Amino acid sequence: MTALTLAPVAGRAWRTLRTSRTAVIGLAIVAVHVLIALLAPVLTSYDPIANDSSEALLGPSWSHWEGTDQYGRDVLARVLYGGRYALGVSVTATLLTVALGTVVGCAAALRGGWFDDVLGRVLDAILSVPSVLALLVIVTALGTGPSVIVLAIAVVYVPQVVRVVRGAALAVVPADYVTAARARGEGTWAILRREILPNITDVVCVEFAMRASWVVLLISSLSFLGFGADPPTPDWGLMVAENRTAITVVPMASLAPIIALATLVVGLNLAADGLSKAWGVDRIREGN
Amino acid sequence: MSGSIVSVNSLSVAYRSGGRDVPVVHEVSLEVAQGRTLALVGESGSGKSTVAATLLGHLRYGSRITGGSVVVDGQDVFALPARELRRLRGSTVALVGQNAGHALTPSMRIGRQIAEAGGSVPVVDLLEQVRLPRPAELARRYPHELSGGQQQRVAIAMAVAARPKVLVLDEPTTGLDVVTQRGVLDLIAALRDELGLAAVLVSHDLGVVAHMADEVTVLRSGRVVEAAPTRTLFTAPQDPYTRRLLASVPRLDDAGLAVVGETGEREVRPKVPVPDDSPVAVSAVDVTVDYGSARAVHGVSFDVRRGEVLALVGESGSGKSTLAWTLAGLRTPSGGTMTHQPGHTDPGDLARPAGRRPLSLRRRVQLVFQNADTSLNPRRSVGDAIRRPLRFFGTADSRPQAAERARGLITDVRLDPDLADRLPAQLSGGQRQRIGIARALAGEPDVLIADEITTALDVSVQADVLRLLDDLRRERQLACLFISHDLAVVRGIADRVVVLRNGVVVEEGPTDAVFASPGHPYTRQLMAAALEPDPDAHPFVEGDTGDLDWEDAAEPDDQWTEHGDGHRVRRWRTADALVTEGVS
Repeated sequence: MTALTLAPVAGRAWRTLRTSRTAVIGLAIVAVHVLIALLAPVLTSYDPIANDSSEALLGPSWSHWEGTDQYGRDVLARVLYGGRYALGVSVTATLLTVALGTVVGCAAALRGGWFDDVLGRVLDAILSVPSVLALLVIVTALGTGPSVIVLAIAVVYVPQVVRVVRGAALAVVPADYVTAARARGEGTWAILRREILPNITDVVCVEFAMRASWVVLLISSLSFLGFGADPPTPDWGLMVAENRTAITVVPMASLAPIIALATLVVGLNLAADGLSKAWGVDRIREGN
Repeated sequence: MSGSIVSVNSLSVAYRSGGRDVPVVHEVSLEVAQGRTLALVGESGSGKSTVAATLLGHLRYGSRITGGSVVVDGQDVFALPARELRRLRGSTVALVGQNAGHALTPSMRIGRQIAEAGGSVPVVDLLEQVRLPRPAELARRYPHELSGGQQQRVAIAMAVAARPKVLVLDEPTTGLDVVTQRGVLDLIAALRDELGLAAVLVSHDLGVVAHMADEVTVLRSGRVVEAAPTRTLFTAPQDPYTRRLLASVPRLDDAGLAVVGETGEREVRPKVPVPDDSPVAVSAVDVTVDYGSARAVHGVSFDVRRGEVLALVGESGSGKSTLAWTLAGLRTPSGGTMTHQPGHTDPGDLARPAGRRPLSLRRRVQLVFQNADTSLNPRRSVGDAIRRPLRFFGTADSRPQAAERARGLITDVRLDPDLADRLPAQLSGGQRQRIGIARALAGEPDVLIADEITTALDVSVQADVLRLLDDLRRERQLACLFISHDLAVVRGIADRVVVLRNGVVVEEGPTDAVFASPGHPYTRQLMAAALEPDPDAHPFVEGDTGDLDWEDAAEPDDQWTEHGDGHRVRRWRTADALVTEGVS
């Protein structure tokens, strides 16, 4: 039953998506990144972690396309594998953040009253703490590791997602079909899932894409500062930090992860931008 | 000056959708002479607003002219360069739109906005001209400090500021209450005569058209169906569509619902009397509802029996919708009692909000919404909207059974059950409203609250939905609380009427008795303001009507003047003191 109603909606979403070149390009870039991360072992035969002191600090050559770093590790292999950590942690963190934020935001819009008021003030308090500072505090207190990073990012970004989703949900809450569900005496969760969520999926999707690009950057910054991925994990932020002292000797060792990071963020931003335009225009065209 | 000031010659407009042209206006021609009023009449989607907007050189985004021309005051509007077109708008042609509240800038004082409209007439004179009291003071106010009628008057003042030659009126009174509507229409008519304006009036309301227009052009799906002088059109309509349209309009003197045939013949179906032994389904006693410190409903009492339609009538702000929502459990009353099946062994307490009512009570009191466009979730299929309450209330046990019952309910509201798989956006307004009714019926209610359910519908569709409601209450013995501001509709469907004003009942009784001899000046005022689709209509109530000054004279132990048979009027007396002049 749900699949039946979802199929045309998904089809329509895809059709309007294709009208936006920006969104298609952005999603394509992201897809390429995902593919590379998944296929990394096929694309390179080098081990991204194994040290080889005889091969340290080599320039680009046929055997090492992007040269090697100070421990003799192949830079290309590390960049290719590095996507796994960046994408894995970012996607998990973003999923958790957006899911939590969506549920809380919808609930705040739907319940209103003191719940909304108290939540709003609490979120204000959290938002007033600079995000990198909050992250550092959490990571210092709980130690590093992917699960801590995911948790820390959720704490930092959930309030912002709540704000955005609450705003979108507020536009849906006064609609008569929500009132009808209330008059039936349905619970908050049922109204949220059946009546509100289907009508703000576009906002949530755009929020996901946009949030993901910020999360990718934030995670890399953490790694760069030494609070994210532990060496010798191949990670872009970490690579930049490790190789920046040797940037004059082997510039590619720093530049390659930066390029990888930049393209992923640009891809995510383009996707978010295109999605919001495509679906926004779609809404106007249909007059709702 | 001879000839026409406005002439539209076989105009065709189309918009592009999905790579092809969709025609919205098809070879429409019309002429308006100086000082005359032409009405464009049609149902939604007939292209009447599109035609009217072309007089100002405006087309909706994506639309274009595919043929014909629009000539206003000797100038071909769509051949004008942008500068000239801007000069034309305002100084030659001016528009009064439907919702003045949206047309005025909220952060700018009235006076400045009017001054901005151009022209050399002082603002105060303009405000005086649109009969607004204390113009100098009013000019310093902001739009939100005015009532809807006053806002519309300000919009009219802006339109006539630059002394245009043609006035385009796009549904100028549609959002207004009957009494206010009457005032605004009278003002427009007076201004038109004073300034010698030609006017193009767009309306779906045939009562307004009969009252205002010299000539009428009937549009349907972008084509002219019939064009004739008003009196000819209303007395002897030629086209079957026009006849059906005219016949579908409910009249104040109909004693029942009109059944309209294919060629427009009209037959009034008499009401079936409610059996005397019919049990009371809902009883409200002294109900008061507060919004913060403001009292919206003030001690209202009524009973609705099974199979009976009780109409709550009043203007906006009279508390009729608040009462409906309170009964549906969406608001908590601050005083009084509301009981479901008071004579029954197990009466239900309706003073509690929906969430605190037992499921068995909740499903038996159901609400149908005014706006069918927003009452269905746009992302869920129509069948899903009906299956949900079926499953939720437990009236269907399994998914297949719910699906079957949903199809049955769709058939019950006289629709094709195959519509179940459609999304609301794929249905027409009337179909959506029927689905809204089907959804309310899913709980097998015995009380149905219909909150202005036909207000947003076209007349012919309105007639069908009213007939459906009438059939359903007979078939299912529904106690129906029918909320409306349209007295003609109420006359046709209701068994009893309760007239509300500012949250207080001023008159109640059997429909025929109240319409035959309205006792309260407010009721008389409402009836006098209602416009009949007949240019020669006599006022429905004789003698003194709206202009009578009165004040409430009800005492706590002596509130009513009884007229027999349950018809009673709240006590009032003629006001002695001169009330300060005020215009709504």
